[in-house]
Amino acid sequence: MSSNLLEVKNLKKSFGGLQAVDIKELKFKKNQLTSIIGPNGAGKTTFFDLISGFQTADSGDIFLNGDDISNSHPYQIARMGMIRTFQLTKVFDRMTVLENLMFSGSSVTNDSFTKSIINTKKQRNYEIELKDKSYEIMEDLNISHMADSYARELSGGQKKLLELARSIINNPDTLLLDEPLAGVNPKLAEDLLGLIQKLASSGISILMVEHNIEAVMKISERIVVLSEGTLIADGSPNEIRNDQNVIEAYLGKDDG
Amino acid sequence: MNSLLISKRFIFTVVITSLSIYLVFLLNPEGALRILINLLTFAGIYGLSAIGLNVHFGWTGLLNFGHASFMGMGAYVTLLLMPHAAGREGEVTTTGLPIIIAVFVGIAAAALFGLLLGLPAIRLRGDYLAIVTIAAAEIFRLLVRDLESITGGVYGIISYTENLQKFRPEFINSLSLSYEFAPSQAWVGIIAWVSIILTLFLLKRLNSSPWGRALRAVREDEDAVRAMGKNAVWLKLQSFMLGAGIAGLSGVLLAFNYGSLETTVFVPLLTFYVWAIMILGGVGSLTGPIFGSIIFWVIISETDRLAYIFFENANGQQLAGFRFLLVGLLIMLLMIFRPSGLLGKKEELLLDVK
Repeated sequence: MSSNLLEVKNLKKSFGGLQAVDIKELKFKKNQLTSIIGPNGAGKTTFFDLISGFQTADSGDIFLNGDDISNSHPYQIARMGMIRTFQLTKVFDRMTVLENLMFSGSSVTNDSFTKSIINTKKQRNYEIELKDKSYEIMEDLNISHMADSYARELSGGQKKLLELARSIINNPDTLLLDEPLAGVNPKLAEDLLGLIQKLASSGISILMVEHNIEAVMKISERIVVLSEGTLIADGSPNEIRNDQNVIEAYLGKDDG
Repeated sequence: MNSLLISKRFIFTVVITSLSIYLVFLLNPEGALRILINLLTFAGIYGLSAIGLNVHFGWTGLLNFGHASFMGMGAYVTLLLMPHAAGREGEVTTTGLPIIIAVFVGIAAAALFGLLLGLPAIRLRGDYLAIVTIAAAEIFRLLVRDLESITGGVYGIISYTENLQKFRPEFINSLSLSYEFAPSQAWVGIIAWVSIILTLFLLKRLNSSPWGRALRAVREDEDAVRAMGKNAVWLKLQSFMLGAGIAGLSGVLLAFNYGSLETTVFVPLLTFYVWAIMILGGVGSLTGPIFGSIIFWVIISETDRLAYIFFENANGQQLAGFRFLLVGLLIMLLMIFRPSGLLGKKEELLLDVK
C-alpha cells in the first residue's frame, strides 16, 4: 500500500479543443492541508471533478490510498472516505438543516427500503444517535438554532457552514473543499478558516481550491499551482510566493 | 404556527371537497347516490394512481409522463393471468390464477416495467426523462394494440369481472336494491378506497423514514447525494418501481371498473389527468391527491348538468369543451392563488424541475 493519500498519473481531460487538465504526476500526502490555486479556468474544479468521480478523465490513473479510482462512481469514492464540497454550494434546499445533516450522516443500510418499511428498533435507535450527532455538529458550527429551518432560508455563508457540517458528519479521512470561502463575509471567512485548520489538525487530510490568496498562504502546508490545466509550481507557501512562474501566470496577470 | 397553517389548509380542503360532493346532490335531484358512487369510484382509482405519481414527482422529482403505461402493465398482466376472453373471436381462457395472486403479479410486473424503463432512462434529468417516459408509454400502448394474439389487440379483453365480483359481499347487493346504484361498481369503489388507505399507511411510514428522506435529497440535488456517498441512481430506480407498482394496482381497478379493457384506455390523456389531479391536490402531499381526485371527478361528471344551466342547447362536443375549460380554469386559479395545490407545503413548492 502506498503511503500517499492521493496519486495522479498522466491525467488528461479536454473539452472540445480546450485542454482543461493535463497533469503528468501529482501526489498528495496524508494529514496535510494542501491548497490548489491558479487563475480562473486553470482546471482546478475540473481536477476536483476528476478525482471525486464526477467527471471521467480522457486518460490517466487516479489512486486513493493505493486503490485505482479512475473509473469509480462519485458515491463509491465518497464511501472510501473522501468527501467533496462544491464551488456553488449544494444544500438540500427544501429540507430542514437537521434533515440535511441526518441524511448525510445516515448509512446506506439505514437508508434501505425494507428496513424503512419495517421500521426496526435498530433503525429507530440509529436515528436517535444520528440526531444527537447532527446537533453536536450544528452546535460546533453555531447553526443549531436553525435546525428546523429549510436550508434554502439560510444565508450564503450559513449554507457554506451547512455544507461543511454535512461533509464531516461521517468522519471522512479526506476533504476536498472547492472554494470554501467564496462569497462569505470576512468575519465568517475567519471562522471558516479556523474551522478548516481545526479539522486539519484533527487528522483529516484536506485539499482546498481557493482564490483568497491571503488565506491560502496563511493556512496551507503545501500549495499546488495550476495554469491552463498544467502544474506550474508546487511547494511551501514561501516557495510559491517567490516562484517566478507563479508570479507570471497568476499574480502577474492581476497587474495587467 | 406552521402546523396551524397546515391544519387550516386541511380544513379548507375538506370543506371544498364536501361542497363539491354537495354540488352533486344539488344538481341531481334524482339518482344522486348512483352518480356519486360512480364518481367516487373513479376518484379512488385515479387518486391511487396520483399517489403513485406523487412518489415519482413529489418525493423524488422525477418527471414521469408515462404513468398510463404503468397502469396498463398492471391491468393487462393481471387480467391475462385470470380467466377471461380476448381478441376478435372472444377466445375464452377458463383457467388462471386466483385474483389475489394475479393482482400481486400485476403489481410486480408494473414495478418491473418501471425498473426496465428506468435502467436506461433514469440517468436523464428533468424534461429529458419526461420525453423518454412519454415515448415509452406510447410504445407500450401500440405494442399492446398490435400483439393481438396475446392481448386481444383492439378487440380488448372481456369477461373477467366475475373474478372479482364473485367475492362481492351480500350487503352491497341489498343496499343497491334500496338505493339504486350499480353493485359491481360499488364493490370496485370500496376496494379502491381500501387500497388508498393501505397505500397511504405504507407511504406515511416511508415518507418519514430514512428512505423517504433520501428520496427527497435526490429531488433536491442529485450531485450532493452522490457526494455524500449515496447511490442516487438506485434510489431513483426504487422510487420509480414503487410508484409504478401503485399505478399498476390502480390500472387493475380501472379495468374492473370498466368491465372490458381496450387499448384506448391507456392513452397519454390518462397520464395528464393523473398529473392534473396531483397538482390540484398538492405536489408532495400524502393525502392531497385524494381530495384533488374527488374535485376533479365532480367537475368531469357534473359539467353536463352545469352546462345545461348555462347553455340550454349544448351538444356533446361543446360539453366536452366546457368540461375541460372548467378543469383548466380551476388549475389556473389554483396556480395563481394556491400554487402549491390544496394540501402542498408552500415551502416545498415543487413546480420547478431540475
